[in-house]
This record gives sequence, structure tokens and C-alpha cells, in this order.
Amino acid sequence: MGAAAQPLEYAVKAAFLTKFAAFVSWPGGAAPPVRICVVGDDPFGTALEAAAGGAAVVRRMTVADRGAGCHVLYAAGSSRQSVAQTLAAVRGAPVLTVTDAARGPARGVIHFVVFQDRVRFHIDAGQAAQGGLTISSKLLALGLSVKR
Amino acid sequence: MRPALPAPSERRHLNLAWLGALALLALGLLLGARAESVYRAQAARAAGVQAEILAASVTAALAFDDRPAMREYVDALRANRRIAAAGVYDSEGRPLVTYARSPAAPPPAQLGAAGAHYRGGGAEVTVPVSEQGLTMGGVYLRTEPEPFGDVLGRHGALALLTLMAFLMLGLVTRAAAQLQRRAGELAQANERLTVEMRERARAEEALRQSQKMEALGQLTGGIAHDFNNLLQVVQGAFELIRRKPDDAARVGAWAENGLQAAERGASLTRQLLAFSRAQKLELRPFIVAELVDEMRELITRSLGSDIELVFDLDHERVRVLSDRTQLELAVLNMAINARDAMPEGGRLTIATRVVEIAQGHPVLPPDTYVELSVSDTGAGMAPEVAERAFDPFFTTKGVGKGTGLGLSQVYGVARQAGGAAQIESAPGQGTTVRLLLRRSAADADAPATAPAAPGTVLAPAGGATILVVDDDGEVRNLVRDTLELLGYRVLTADGGHAALDLLDQTRPDLVLMDFAMPNMNGAEAAGLARQKWSGLPIIFASGYADTAAVESALGGQPVILRKPFEMDELARVVAEALPA
Repeated sequence: MGAAAQPLEYAVKAAFLTKFAAFVSWPGGAAPPVRICVVGDDPFGTALEAAAGGAAVVRRMTVADRGAGCHVLYAAGSSRQSVAQTLAAVRGAPVLTVTDAARGPARGVIHFVVFQDRVRFHIDAGQAAQGGLTISSKLLALGLSVKR
Repeated sequence: MRPALPAPSERRHLNLAWLGALALLALGLLLGARAESVYRAQAARAAGVQAEILAASVTAALAFDDRPAMREYVDALRANRRIAAAGVYDSEGRPLVTYARSPAAPPPAQLGAAGAHYRGGGAEVTVPVSEQGLTMGGVYLRTEPEPFGDVLGRHGALALLTLMAFLMLGLVTRAAAQLQRRAGELAQANERLTVEMRERARAEEALRQSQKMEALGQLTGGIAHDFNNLLQVVQGAFELIRRKPDDAARVGAWAENGLQAAERGASLTRQLLAFSRAQKLELRPFIVAELVDEMRELITRSLGSDIELVFDLDHERVRVLSDRTQLELAVLNMAINARDAMPEGGRLTIATRVVEIAQGHPVLPPDTYVELSVSDTGAGMAPEVAERAFDPFFTTKGVGKGTGLGLSQVYGVARQAGGAAQIESAPGQGTTVRLLLRRSAADADAPATAPAAPGTVLAPAGGATILVVDDDGEVRNLVRDTLELLGYRVLTADGGHAALDLLDQTRPDLVLMDFAMPNMNGAEAAGLARQKWSGLPIIFASGYADTAAVESALGGQPVILRKPFEMDELARVVAEALPA
């Protein structure tokens, strides 16, 4: 399914991406602004910039780069690097990885699904801990499932 | 008691009470308002805390638009019945999830600015929802208006206290006003009583005087008879002197007889005048035996020769506290009763003795008393008559012979002197009336200064001029002759006006003034004379001088020469009054 087919769904996901940072703490603290990276085929268009306003910086890249300083990484996957490869590339780094059921079964810390016509997510707190991230209980309470 | 306007001080009290009530009300309102504002701030704070909790709970749900989660949090508030409405709003202020206990009062359709208000009895709070500087939206919370019962409970105690204070103030004010009114009434009643007491005192005075006059009236027959005898002696003496003027030795003896009779008459009239003078009731300590002794002449003369008089007086000099004139009247009343009980003659005994009343007397407290008794050998009384003898207006005498007040007066005197009166009588056994008079606790009066011994003073005639004023020509001429015999120059006037005319022309060294004169009495004339010549010595010669009138006309102690006077006495008084 293309980005143009589901503009509302991606607008919501873009809004969510800009808000996760508020409920997550990075080791040593994250110096603002929050950097949000989109790796692979970007499904958001301008929606992500619109949602971020001035509060976050958005970077797009074709392959994951550990040194890019991403706080939040949305693995969209591409012909160059699959979602799973992207996740493997940043495993153990302090990066909040976000995957999307619409783009494959591989799961990052946050995994978007559409549940009862609404965008929800699963949370993998164990994977987050490997990167040194702590997720606020407020956010954990909203996960469809939470993996420790 | 007419319902008058409140007295000025009463009105002041009412005003004070009103002020107090207003102050109390103001204080009550102030305290109430303060308590209310404190309560509202507290309620708003409490609502604020609730809203903060909600905001913290829904942060993530709001961030990720999780309506069911939001609904869950908001619905949790239903358990709290004090919350009227709540809502979660997005960052644009649009409601996402709302809750209202009553559909009539839903949360606002657009979220207002953050803050806490107290509106319509409940608190209304708007709190922003943010996480790490990122604003997600806001929550709204409104609490139910406080139930009236709770408001009442909160302010009831204070209101009750204020009300009680009001009531107390009202009661106290009422009581004070009543007290004041009563005091006013009491003062008026007291004033009326005082007036009545004065009137009564005047009436009693008049009664006493009339009682004395009545007694004198009863004595008139005897006194007139006695005077006839005295006049008989005087007249006889003068007739004998006229027939045999040359028999010097016998003329001297006749003149002596006549003078003695005149002296006795003078003594009698002096007592009568002293007795009949209107006087105020005056309680003073005196010795009863002395008083009776001084009345000896009067009683002897007035009872007539059929009655044998026996005086049996004590010498213990115990004083009683009473009014002299009243006791004299009592003695006279008893003597008159005794005389009337003995139309055929008999013996009248007047006795005094000192008795001790011991504990247990039915009427009198134990003390020393002087008993004054008057006994006759007359017809006596039946017991039922004796029983009522002290009652006012009770009399067995015929119409015109007595008022029935005599023994009642006797009884009154005895009671007044702290004593009692009793009567002992039986038909054919005579009657004894006893007065018991309590000893005076007051100090004995200083013994009366003995009158200066009347020496034979024949004035060294200094050639002084004396003005003699008397309306009676005989008396005037006699006095003029006497004074000229003594060596004075004498002017005469037949009344006050003539005397004042004379005084316009000359200033005599002394004025001898009769008191009772027609047109202008002696006191008035003396007053006017003193206006012409201040310091002019004035002697009053009178048998009946109103001492008070003279005193007020001249000031100071007037010199009074009592008529009839002897030549020596006239010479002495004139010599003393003349300026040295």
C-alpha cells in the first residue's frame, strides 16, 4: 500500500514518532532537539516535518548509520536494506527503533499496528534496555503488548 | 404610670445596644466571609490536585490518541460523586473524552485558559497536559456545588453563635431598660411618699397643737377660777391701800400681798403660754420628775380645791428621750381625766419612780425605765371600758366635754419614748394610768445654765434715751414712769409707724419694743428700725413673742423681756443692752 493511499494513517504515525521521545530517557540524557531518522523508503512525505514542528529534526537515510546520532529511528526498509538489517545495524545502540507491521514482520522497540481501525503499538522493553533506554510507564501502559 | 417616651439615658442605652448589634453582625459576616474564602481556596486546591492527577494519567493516552485509555481514566472519576464534569482536550482545545454527572451541565466545548476558579458553588479547574516540555492538550474538571446542608454545617456554628449573642444583647438591653424604668418609677413613688409624709407631718403637728388647746380648754374653768382668786387678792390690796394710804406699815404689807398674788399669776400664765406655743416635735433627753415638778403650779391651780394633790417624785435623775411639751400634755390629760373622775373631790397622786424591766416582758425590751403614774380615788372603770380607754375618739364623757383623744395621746407619747402605757382600774377602786418611758441612751444634756441671780440692780442713770413702743397706753406709761424713776430719758410711741416717724428725727440709745401690736408687729417694726439705724439695740417686751419671727427679722439671738416683768428685771436688762 502506498503512502498516498493511507495519508491519515501515516499522519498519525508521524505524530506518534514526534511524541515518543517525551516518554523515553536516553543514557546520559538526550540533548535537544530530538533527532528522528527515517531509514529506507519514506512513507511520510511532509507529514513528519508537519508533526515535528520546530521540536524535532528529521533526517532521512537509505541505510542505518550508528554514528548519525539518531534518537528515534523509523525502519521503513528498502531494496538496499531490509527492516531486519536496519535493526541489526543499530542493535545495542541507544536508539529507539520503530517498526511498522505494514512494512514487515521484524519488530523494533516500538512496533506499529492498526488495531480496531486505530494506530496502536507493541513495545519491546527488553530490546530498549539493550540500548540503555528507559521507557516511561505511562507509555508502557498504552502498549498493546509489552515484551520485557 | 403613663407610657412615656424613653428617658434620654434610656435612649442612649438603646443606641448603644444597636451599635453593639451592628458591630456583632459585621464581625459575624466578616468571620463568615473569611471562613468561606478559605474554604473556597481549599476546595479549588483540592480540585486542582484531582485535575493534576488526571492530567498525569492521560498524558500518554493523549499523546497517542488512545481514546479507550482516556475514557478509562475519565470514567474512574465517576466514583467520586463530588466531581460534576471532567474532560480531556487535545492541544487545539477540542474535547476528546468528556464526562458529565448531569447532562444539563457538560464540560465546555472549547477548553479555556489554564487556571482554577470557584463558580456557582463549585470549583472549576483547567490544567495543561505536557510531558518534557511537550504540550499534549489539557484536562478540565468541575466539582459539584456544595450541598446546602454542608454550607449550613460550615457556617451554622458561627451563625448560631452570632444569633445567641444577638439574643443575649437583646435580653440584656431589655433588662437594663426595664431596670431604668423601674428606678424612675421608684423615684417618683418616693417623691410622692415624701410629699405625703410632709403633709402627714403637718397634719400631725396641727393635731398636736389642737390637742394642747383642747387640754387647755378643759382647764379653763379651773384657771379662770384661780385667776379670780389672785385678782381678788390684788384688787383687795389696792382698795385697802386707797382707803388707808397713810398707814405706812400696813400699806407695805398689803402691797407685798398684792405683789405675791401677781407673781403667782405671772408664773401661771408663763406656763400656759409656754405650753400653748406652737412647737415642732423635738425629742430630747430630760428628767421626768423635773418636768412634773415644774408643772406643779399649773396642775394645782387648774384642778380646783376639792382635790388633794400628792406629788411623789423620784430623785434618781434618769433621763428619758421624748418631747417635753408632749409629755406635759400627757400629764395634763391624765390630770384632767382624774379630775373628771372625781366630781365630788378626792386625791390625785402623781408619782415617778425608776423600774428595771427584766427579760420576758411581753412588750418591752429589758432596760431601765421611768414609770410615771397618775392615780385618782374616783369612780374607776369597768374592765370593758378600761380596755378601750387608749383608743382614739373613745370617750365616756358627754358631748362637748371631751374628744376622746386624751388617753390616746398619752399612749402615743409612751410608745414614742420607747415605752408603754397601761391602765389599772376597777369600778369604785379609782384609776391608775402608768407610763413606762425607756431610759435615754443619749448623753445627758448639759445642765441648763441657771438664770442669772436677779440682784437688785438699780441702774446708774447715764442719761441715756430710751424709746418705749407699746400699743397699750397703761403699760406704756407704767414702763415710762419706771425708766424715768431709774434716771433715763424716755420717748414713747403707740405703734410701729409712730416709732419709725420718731426714728426719722432722732436716734435713741435703746428701743424697748412690744411684740404683739396691731398694724405692724414688733418684729417688722424692729427690722425697719434697723434699716434706719443699723446696730440700734432693741429689747422685745412681750408675753407672747414669736422668737422665730424676731430672729429672722433681726438675725442673731434677740433680747426678750417676758411680761409681766419686775422693775429690777427691767433695770437689769436695759442696763445690759445699752452700749457700754
